[in-house]
Amino acid sequence: MLTDESASKILESLKELNVQQHIVSIPKVGPFDLSISNVVIYMWVSAFIVFTFFFIVSRRLRKEPDGMQTVAEILLNFATGHLTGQIGEKGKKYYYLILTLFCYIMVTNLIGLIPKPIPLKGYTPTANINVTFGLAMVVFFVTQYQGFSRHGARGYLGSWLAPPGVPKALVPPLNGIFFIVHFMGEFFKPLSLSVRLFGNTIAGHLIILVMLGLMLQYASAIVIIPAGLFVVIMLLFEVFVAFIQAYIFSLLSVVYIESAIYAGH
Amino acid sequence: MDAETAARLAAGIGMGLATIGPGIGIGLLTGRTAEAIARQPEASADIRTAFIIGLALAEALALYAFVIAIILLFVA
Repeated sequence: MLTDESASKILESLKELNVQQHIVSIPKVGPFDLSISNVVIYMWVSAFIVFTFFFIVSRRLRKEPDGMQTVAEILLNFATGHLTGQIGEKGKKYYYLILTLFCYIMVTNLIGLIPKPIPLKGYTPTANINVTFGLAMVVFFVTQYQGFSRHGARGYLGSWLAPPGVPKALVPPLNGIFFIVHFMGEFFKPLSLSVRLFGNTIAGHLIILVMLGLMLQYASAIVIIPAGLFVVIMLLFEVFVAFIQAYIFSLLSVVYIESAIYAGH
Repeated sequence: MDAETAARLAAGIGMGLATIGPGIGIGLLTGRTAEAIARQPEASADIRTAFIIGLALAEALALYAFVIAIILLFVA
């Protein structure tokens, strides 16, 4: 049976999970805080894993693919066929970016689900809205750059106005309405991408942590058995959600980039 | 009723109300998906893609309310 002090200590350490802790503190340069915390370390870890996987596979290509090469081929077929296939011919060169986003987000989410001991200061980077917003900003800049460089400023902004075939008298107010709606939509898209990824990750983690805290607070078998089952089921569901959220992020990025490339058609 | 109690109450009620809309939406979506796959099983890959997109977009609406509830609980 747990006493009250040990239960509260465990609850304290549960609260410490998924909290940003500085490892190397570097003083702030203006508004930017460049200190190395466990967020940064785990982002580097997932980037390192994705990079070394594809690096090693590309160095040892064989005619009969073994295990790792099959996985890499499946990922490449998925990226070129399913994800960027929607753009058509002009967008084929974006499959690098989309595949990188997909693999990076999936590896990050899956690493965050592995229970790590306390000294490792485990953290899931996508449970931090700054990280997901950074990823969404990448997609936003690619979208706007493609729109402005392919169609010019007049053509791209002109595609935000009302479609043709509207009676002349109604055109100015309709133009204004369409333009405002498109403009807000362009800013809302990366925001929704980031909040979706952040919310899904943090919701799963919070439910698991709350259930664990509940199990430790009332250390009796009536609470532990259903709550433990629920925690196991939520962990399995979290693995599923990790894959789905990575897929949705990359698929919606493809749709946004496609709508910027084919603006107004 | 002070600010902290009001914030917790708002978080609870708001999150509860926010799951009504996406719940109905996802239920309708899944029903139509099942019908469409039953009518034409050859197109099930395209239908499944559209289903997953619709699922994520509907889920995101509930998640906006979840993020606001988290902010209300932990900051106020």
